[in-house]
Amino acid sequence: MSAVVAGSLQPGALQPASLQPGALQPGSLQAGPLGGLLDALPLSYPDAVVVVGTAVVGFVAGLLGPLAVLRQRSMFGDAMSHGTLAGVAVAFLLTGAKVPELLLLGAAVSATLAAFAMIALERTGRLRSDAAIGVVLSVSLTLGIVLLTGISDSGNAQQSGLDEYLLGQTAGMVERDIVVALAGAGVAVVVILLGFRLLRSATFDPGFTAVAGVRTWVVDAASTGLLALAVVLGVRTVGAILMVALLVAPVVTARQLTTRLAALLPLSAVVGAACGAVGGLVSGRAELPAGPVIVLLATALAVLAVVLAPRRGVIARARAGRLREGAAR
Amino acid sequence: MTPDDVMIIVIAGLLSTSCALLGGLLVLRGQALLPDAVSHAVLPGIVLIFLLTGERASLWTVAGATAFGVLCVLGSDWLRRSGVIESDAALALVFPALFSLGILGISRFASGAHIDLDSAIYGDLTFAPLRTMSLFGADLPRSLVITGVATVAVVLLVVVLWRPLQAATFDPAFAELAGLRGRLTGQVLLVAVAGLAVVAFDSVGAILVITFFVVPASTARLLTVRLGSMLVVAAGCGWIASVAGHGVAVSLDTSIPGTIGLTSGVLFALTLVLAPRRGLLARWRART
Repeated sequence: MSAVVAGSLQPGALQPASLQPGALQPGSLQAGPLGGLLDALPLSYPDAVVVVGTAVVGFVAGLLGPLAVLRQRSMFGDAMSHGTLAGVAVAFLLTGAKVPELLLLGAAVSATLAAFAMIALERTGRLRSDAAIGVVLSVSLTLGIVLLTGISDSGNAQQSGLDEYLLGQTAGMVERDIVVALAGAGVAVVVILLGFRLLRSATFDPGFTAVAGVRTWVVDAASTGLLALAVVLGVRTVGAILMVALLVAPVVTARQLTTRLAALLPLSAVVGAACGAVGGLVSGRAELPAGPVIVLLATALAVLAVVLAPRRGVIARARAGRLREGAAR
Repeated sequence: MTPDDVMIIVIAGLLSTSCALLGGLLVLRGQALLPDAVSHAVLPGIVLIFLLTGERASLWTVAGATAFGVLCVLGSDWLRRSGVIESDAALALVFPALFSLGILGISRFASGAHIDLDSAIYGDLTFAPLRTMSLFGADLPRSLVITGVATVAVVLLVVVLWRPLQAATFDPAFAELAGLRGRLTGQVLLVAVAGLAVVAFDSVGAILVITFFVVPASTARLLTVRLGSMLVVAAGCGWIASVAGHGVAVSLDTSIPGTIGLTSGVLFALTLVLAPRRGLLARWRART
């Protein structure tokens, strides 16, 4: 395999043809655009693909999770990830084939629609946000289930594996998925860097932001789009049901360790990436599904952070409380 | 309609009645997402009891699953009260972790066993009439007996605890001062939700659980202003969705729980637009 990789590192090998997604056969050992990077890891090729893939997915989810968590919209992610099922099914029905990028596009569209439906329901002022989320979640999930049932009864041989989107799957991950995830990560980083100041003021002082002349729907739409990006990238790896944990847990961990948004975003992204990489590796070695392993790791970290964090943590505050009581006496 | 069809509709209707009663209270208390979380969090309980006893649908299963449902509620409550996490984030942290434990348990110890994730999630309402048990000499579908008992229990609970539930829902501080034990009532409600979610999980699968708890109650919220009438209307919406959804599913030959859920969604959307006085259309007319 190293010979193939060495070949791909020669300038001549980087012809456009080899970069076309179509040139990468799923599961083949042929080195793609990331051949050098994946070979540099002290892992077998399939392990390396899973570890890098889950790390990138964790990075994106960790980076964008604060958009939901800090605005008290954690469960938005849950409804959006359940909403992807319907989009995947519709994309499959329209194209009749399992083209990963098109399925992702469908998932992104329906996750975004679900998010806008929730925002609209809240804005009508008739329902509280938890009920709005619950309604959208159940309707989009049942729609997805009905469509998927219809597809699986249609006898189309291509359809097997669509239900991976509910529980997640890393075994089928190929380099092409990593390239897509990296592209998504790039978009996310650029948008966050450009819009950081706006994001900060909209998160912590929506009133001021509105008065300052920023249309709130622009911020809402942008952060919804970014969340849809994170959900769509993650949903095939950890599944629609567990995706919300990947968005929330790294943020909770990072939040205990810093109080500044500028530090929170990268920290949470790094925590997400680490959980993804370690979880991907452990699940491969122990032959367990990757999604639950990653989620349990991330949750354990978050709970540890809540208990142990300096100053903010449960233990630290219990101690401070006792000191204060002692001083009062 | 065959007797089996009637049976399916009755099971779904009974379940929607009990879910609507508790769901209405949850929606008013701002805890509408709790059933979703609980119905996922019970999975490790089901798996654990299966590993210990080898049974996947006994009273022990219900007890074990309810225990994990309660654990989910208490765990997220503890995280919330630690004051460093918002309540929605606390919920989003706890239930995926418990669900993950369940999946790991299945894939590690129980793969090939009869805990079928698909049937747990999609539900096997369609085959409910086929799994029978004998009761007083008559062969009845097991789901019908279980949901019937659960529904009677929930109705009794709501009737007996009507005053405290009402007070604790609208004015927790008053409930506490008036000696109505608001916090205790809230906890009883949560345990009942966990137990009912388990029963529903077994009979109709996870997708319908969240739908039945939230959607009819939210629909009724748009139509009524009094708690009593809201709960009755919510149960009515559940029955309408069960009958209509079943009809659509049979004529289109698709997933019955899925279409029942979709029908409740359609009912909600229609109500949102058309409700007299408070609907979008009525408000738009009033403005112009």
